[in-house]
Parts: sequence; C-alpha cells; structure tokens
Amino acid sequence: MMKEENIVICRCEDFTLKELRELLEQGFNTVEEIKRVARLGMGPCQGKTCGPLIKREIAKYTKQKIEDLDREASRPPYGGIMFGQVVGDDIEK
Amino acid sequence: MIKTDLLVVGAGPAGMAASISAAKNGINVILLEENERVGGQLIKQTHRFFGSQKEHAGIRGIHIAEDLKKEIESYKNIELMLSATLMGIYEDGIFTVLKDDKMIKIKPEKTIMATGAFEKYLLFENNDLPGIYGAGAVQTLMNINGVLPAKKVLMIGSGNIGLIVSYQLMQAGVEIAGVIEASNKIGGYMVHAAKLKRLGVPIYTSHTIEKAIGNERVEGALLHKLDSNWNKIEGSEFEIDCDCICLAVGLSPLTDILFQSGCAVKYLPELGGYVPYRDEHLETSIKGLYVAGDVSGIEEATGAMVEGEIAGLHVAGTLKQDDKIFERIKEMKEELRSLRAGPVGHKIREGLSKLYDEIYVEEDEFPEVYDIEFFRKTGTPSEENLKAVMPDEERLNKGPVAVTECFQRIPCDPCVYSCPYNAIKPFEDMNELPEVIFEKCIGCGICVGKCPGLAIFVLNKNYSETTSTVTLPYEFLPKPAKESIVDVLDRSGAKICEGKIIRILDGKAQDKTSIVTVEVPKEFYNQARNIKVVL
Repeated sequence: MMKEENIVICRCEDFTLKELRELLEQGFNTVEEIKRVARLGMGPCQGKTCGPLIKREIAKYTKQKIEDLDREASRPPYGGIMFGQVVGDDIEK
Repeated sequence: MIKTDLLVVGAGPAGMAASISAAKNGINVILLEENERVGGQLIKQTHRFFGSQKEHAGIRGIHIAEDLKKEIESYKNIELMLSATLMGIYEDGIFTVLKDDKMIKIKPEKTIMATGAFEKYLLFENNDLPGIYGAGAVQTLMNINGVLPAKKVLMIGSGNIGLIVSYQLMQAGVEIAGVIEASNKIGGYMVHAAKLKRLGVPIYTSHTIEKAIGNERVEGALLHKLDSNWNKIEGSEFEIDCDCICLAVGLSPLTDILFQSGCAVKYLPELGGYVPYRDEHLETSIKGLYVAGDVSGIEEATGAMVEGEIAGLHVAGTLKQDDKIFERIKEMKEELRSLRAGPVGHKIREGLSKLYDEIYVEEDEFPEVYDIEFFRKTGTPSEENLKAVMPDEERLNKGPVAVTECFQRIPCDPCVYSCPYNAIKPFEDMNELPEVIFEKCIGCGICVGKCPGLAIFVLNKNYSETTSTVTLPYEFLPKPAKESIVDVLDRSGAKICEGKIIRILDGKAQDKTSIVTVEVPKEFYNQARNIKVVL
C-alpha cells in the first residue's frame, strides 16, 4: 500500500494526498471549498500543478466525471503582485 | 491606456507566427512575453522538426525560433514587450499587464491568446524529493543554461517529450536508466523511440513508478508492472538506480487566465484538459478573442505555428476586409488538416470534433500501412517491418542503396525533397511513408542526414569480398575519426562487432547530424545501425 502521507499533491502549500483525502471525508467536496480551507491553488503556481490532481480526487470520491465538476474561478490579478505595482507612485490622469 | 489593433499573448511558436502573419498584412501588433526572450519551448528543441517542408520541417526548433525572432524584429508594426506578464482580462476589453514593476492597460481591437501549456505532475511516494524534475526544467537547465541536471536519469513518460529529452540528455553525456510508460504502447513517434533504443536505452511499457527512493535526494526508484486494466501486478516491483526522476507525463493547456474572459470552455482529455470552444479560425465564444497553439489543445509545435498563422490572418482579414488574406487562410487550413490527418492525429481530431461543427473524419484518412504493434511495444521494428523495406538481393548486390526504416505514419516529408536524384517517390500528402525507387537511388546518403527521424540508412552489401558498409546518421560527441575502429551496435543498442570508419561527412550542410559510413563484416549489414566511439 502506498503511503499517502508521503505523496505530495500541492508543492506550493506542502499538502499531501492523505490530507486531501481527509478533507474529502470531512465533506469538503469542491475545488472552491478545498481552496478556502487548505489554500490549495493559492501558491506561486496558482493551482496549475495541483488543480487537475485535486479534481481527479474529487471526481473519484464523489463518483462524478471531471467534466461535471465546478471549475475553479480565475480572477485578476493572475499572479502575485505588490500593491505599489497596482497603484503606482501617482494617479493616472 | 495603450490602444492597438491586435494583442498577442505569449511569444512561443503560435504567438510568434500569429504576430508575423498579422503584421505582414498591415496590422499593428503588441506581442507580450512573460520571459526575457521570445521563442517559448522552441529554444530548447535541438532536433529537426517534422511536418511539411514548406512549413519549417527539417529545421531544428532552435533555428526556427531564431528565424521567427528575426522576422518579428523586422516588422516596425510589431511592438515586442518582454518580461511582461498578463495580469487580468476585463469585461470592457481591457487587459492589464505587469511590465517594469508597473501595471499598464492595453485595449486591443482583437486578441490572440497563445499562452501555451503547463506540465502535468504525478502522484507517487516521496514525489517531492530533490532530484525530481519536470522535463521542461531539465531542458531549461541543459539546453538554455548549460547545466547538467543529473548523472543518471529515469524518464517517466514515453510521449515525444520524454523520448526527445532522453535523447538530448544522452547527447549531453547523461545516462538514461530507462524510459517508463504506463500504457502498453510507446506514446511518441516511433522514430524517436528507435533512436533511443539504438543507444541501448531500455523502454519499459506497462510500467509505472511507485516510489522515489532516497533520504536527502533521489537515489533510485521503485517501479512495478501494470496489467491491461492499469492495475499493479503484485510481486512485480523492482528497484532502479538513478539520481534524477524526470516527469514527462503530459501537458495541460494553460487556459486559467482565459477563464477570466468568460469564454466557453470544455474539459476534453483528448486535448489535455480544459480547452476553449472556438471556430475553425480559432475565434472563441467571445468575439475578437482568439486562441492558438497548446492553449487551444495540446499538439505538436508545427501545428501551433499553423494555428497562429490562421488566427493572425483571420484578425487581419476581418480588420482589412481583404479577400487575398482569406485565400491564404484556406491554404493554411489545408495544411492543418493534413497535419492531423494521420493515425497520430486521431486523438486530436476526436477532441476537436467535440468543439466545433466542422467534424474531422473519424476514420483515419491514412491508416497505418504496417503492423507496428511490436514496434510500439518495444521501440524496435519487427522482422516483418524490416523485410518490407529491404531491397531485393539483386539490388543489394548492385551497389549502395538507401533503406527507409520509417514504418509509422507521421506528418513529415523532408526526405522527398532531400534526394537530388528524385529517388524517393513524391508524396501527395505528408502522411505518406517514403518509398525509395531503388533503380534511381545511387546510395549517396544525402537523405540520411535530412530525415528528422534519423530513420534512413545506406547499405553497401558488397563493399569488399567479406565486408559491407552501412551509412548512418550520428549526433554525438566525440565524432569518430576516419579510419578509426568503433563499436558497432544493433537496433537495440547491443554491440555486435567492431567496424572501421570509412567516411564521415560533417560539413555545414550536415548541420551537426554527421553522416558516417562504417565497414562491418558482411553478415552484419542488416543489423548494424549505430556506432559507439571507443576512446
């Protein structure tokens, strides 16, 4: 049997397959819920690595097809950004 | 706020082709690139590309990138923004971009998203150990930064990326512990697999990785065999020694930023994941928003460039209302159709048929000519395959002759144009397999260095009473010296005999794919397919 605690599903947030499966057991069954409780998808890669893997686990657990799952939202800004970079030094005329 | 006719996001093969085709027709283009240089993944590809001769085939990826870069720089109406990251797409058609620590706003008439793809990751025990890389990172280290990623690499995945990167690693002097493939068939082009096999690399089909071994870093891997239902065969575990595990398990279209636009998307595993709905001109459900390249579904770079050109032309045609542009679009659509028409395009056609009405025929327009099941399982062509392309005894006895060990239909045609004697039968479509007209062939060997798959050899059976010569392509250092004695290997990379180097062509025309003629005992003319320089 594979040791799920040694299988990393999200490298940005250091989250394992075991921890994800525990969340599913607790009833967190959508990408948005898992993102809110565990920060998955909110690291530097913005869910590009873990996203497809989490969806596969949710689909397996809830016996749904991946294409029937709710897609996670994508909002600007697309990546990490400083406040100063948004506001700048002066106000745009 | 900056206004422009066309905003192109991503300067990889699709984005560059899109910018050029639009700029050529008088469109003002802003081309955004997140990195500090253009080229995308092309700048890591040292192999010659497949596809049709008129669309970059036979040219190495790195050189295609250079050519496109020069072309982009020659257009005054392309403004290239490097180190510029797209941050947001807004309902009012405004795009925000982070450039030089400042957020800028761009409002284009039309936009082509050519954001490419992202590597898939794999779940196995200890998959966060140092020494586990994505294939893209390995290529970046090796081919851009000149850094050796490891000494002995285990490659996971036998798609074209896994096969190509393994070959490049071997060229850089890295040992390949093996290529692992979960399916019972090799995923990539068979010519790439055959190249690796000739170097003695084991390819394990129906195998997967269970665990990375090591404490501080990768010291090995635990593998096991899979049955036909992808389940582990108990007791089949074995360890393999390596200091790097390289993941080449597929790509996902980089569509997440596209979701911000609200365009309609569909999850299609055939195309790698979520892909946008679009019409045959690559326009999405949002008018004026186009996609091109891997973001619209994972394909080869050759297809990405054609898609880029179609999208760029359609933008130009729409803005300029020029019929000549639409004529060119027709040509490019035909090119794209042909690229996808063979068996290797089957999955792509299947995926695309779910996206828009122009249904691609489900049947392969060009079904396989040969039974390549054995080849796809092992990476070595079957005896029957080889017999089918071998000239008869009479022709073999007459003098040198080219033999094309190209058994899988892939869209590729440079061999046809390479022969100065027109001894390779012209194709009507690039998915055809080469057929040497043995009466016309003089065995000059020019085609040997031009085949992107390194699958052509020239055999001279009666070089002397007791010896034959085999002319083969060679892309490793050091190059063999004339008159030197080398080890001669068969199609599985096993040493069969020693041989003497009779001739080596290594000029500018060969462009680093040397054409080497080696003399071997007569009994080995049909086995000798690679050499190893002995120091």
